[in-house]
Amino acid sequence: MTADSRVDVFERMRSLDETVARLAACAAGETPFQLLSGGTDLVVESHLAPPSSTVRPKRVLLDISSVPELSQIEDRGDMLRLGGGVTYLALRRDPVASRVPLLAAMAKDVGAIQIQARGTLAGNIATASPAADGVCGLFALDAVIGLRSAKGERTIPLVDLYEGYKKSKRRPDELIAWVDVRVPSPTAKWVWRKVGTRLAQAISKVALSAVVEIDDGKISRARFGMASVAPTTSALPSVRALLEGNAPGWIDLAAVERAVDADISPIDDVRSTSAYRRHVAKAITREFVRALSG
Amino acid sequence: MLELDVNGKKVNVDASPLARLLDVLRGPLGLTGTKEGCGEGECGSCTVLVDGVPMNACLVLVGQVEGKSVLTVEGLAVDGALPEHLNHLQRTFIDHGGAQCGICTPGMLVSAEALLRNVPKPSDDQIREAIAGNICRCTGYQRIVDAIRHAAELRGRDQ
Repeated sequence: MTADSRVDVFERMRSLDETVARLAACAAGETPFQLLSGGTDLVVESHLAPPSSTVRPKRVLLDISSVPELSQIEDRGDMLRLGGGVTYLALRRDPVASRVPLLAAMAKDVGAIQIQARGTLAGNIATASPAADGVCGLFALDAVIGLRSAKGERTIPLVDLYEGYKKSKRRPDELIAWVDVRVPSPTAKWVWRKVGTRLAQAISKVALSAVVEIDDGKISRARFGMASVAPTTSALPSVRALLEGNAPGWIDLAAVERAVDADISPIDDVRSTSAYRRHVAKAITREFVRALSG
Repeated sequence: MLELDVNGKKVNVDASPLARLLDVLRGPLGLTGTKEGCGEGECGSCTVLVDGVPMNACLVLVGQVEGKSVLTVEGLAVDGALPEHLNHLQRTFIDHGGAQCGICTPGMLVSAEALLRNVPKPSDDQIREAIAGNICRCTGYQRIVDAIRHAAELRGRDQ
């Protein structure tokens, strides 16, 4: 235990109302503050750079890991409402969440069970990393997030939340209270595909989520999410435009690859190269589109 | 003063709620069976059960587990079991050569315990997935999988 950790203040929140009230008070004050739930990022960062080694001032940590409202999963017919504190393990095990199998498929690929038990959807959304598997999966499900503050509640489609690398429209006094996802039709074709260095415990080099619905032989709805190929998660808008309204068997696969190329801007970093990411992004998207007519 | 439930016992500990659970276990509570490997949630050496669910104690602040039950490798021992109070998992890890340097072993045992509580007769794939968050650099995983499979059989016979 580092004695330095005592300079911070730990407050355990017990309800949503208490949390938004404390957030409002913290945002109005001068002391830095941060929300804490699973700690998969925050605790690592705090420990690797303890307060004594930096000039970071004292801060307030609001622990929301035991706020009951945040861990609920509600069946709302054509939608599911997932509390912001829902963990990946809950997505894998919850019978209601099983209505959207893409959620469990994605959650299974996030770290291993120890991380799945701690990591939350809201944490993944708030961290705003383009490599976030949770965000990528939610993109294909028309996710809308509910932001709660003392001023009330507002909603933002997840695809509109991000303004750049690790930048989002969420205000510091706002809590990601819930995420609504659309339940795809039972006949929808979907995929979750993660490419990492290993099967478990790897951060994505590229990940793809997709949901496609076909009515009367034509694609009526196509939604995508792609991780780690741009400063923010990509919704592959050009691919979507290419597919919607067309018959699955008549889509030019070379055009699909060109559309992916146009939608992404991957970089070289510690996990992969731009060239490899482009190659894989095109290959896995093409493979999904080709399989639609099967 | 924090009140914790560790290995079935209520304990009071003088620690900041911001201390990592791992440091409180190994420090003031003297439970050094839980190991620190990477300290960033990758290796699983510090795996403990919190309300029955495996978690990395390096990612959990001790203030977050007040009111929850924590099980460490020390809590696996069974009073009266021979020899040396070891439970089936601990025994089979020894018998199958599933432990070598020993750093990953406590975390492996705790992850395996969580699996066998939920899935009494796991397939090899289920065993491998249950320990996917526990990294071993010595024995290779096959002996560990063998040990867990054997422990599952022994537990089944007990019931």
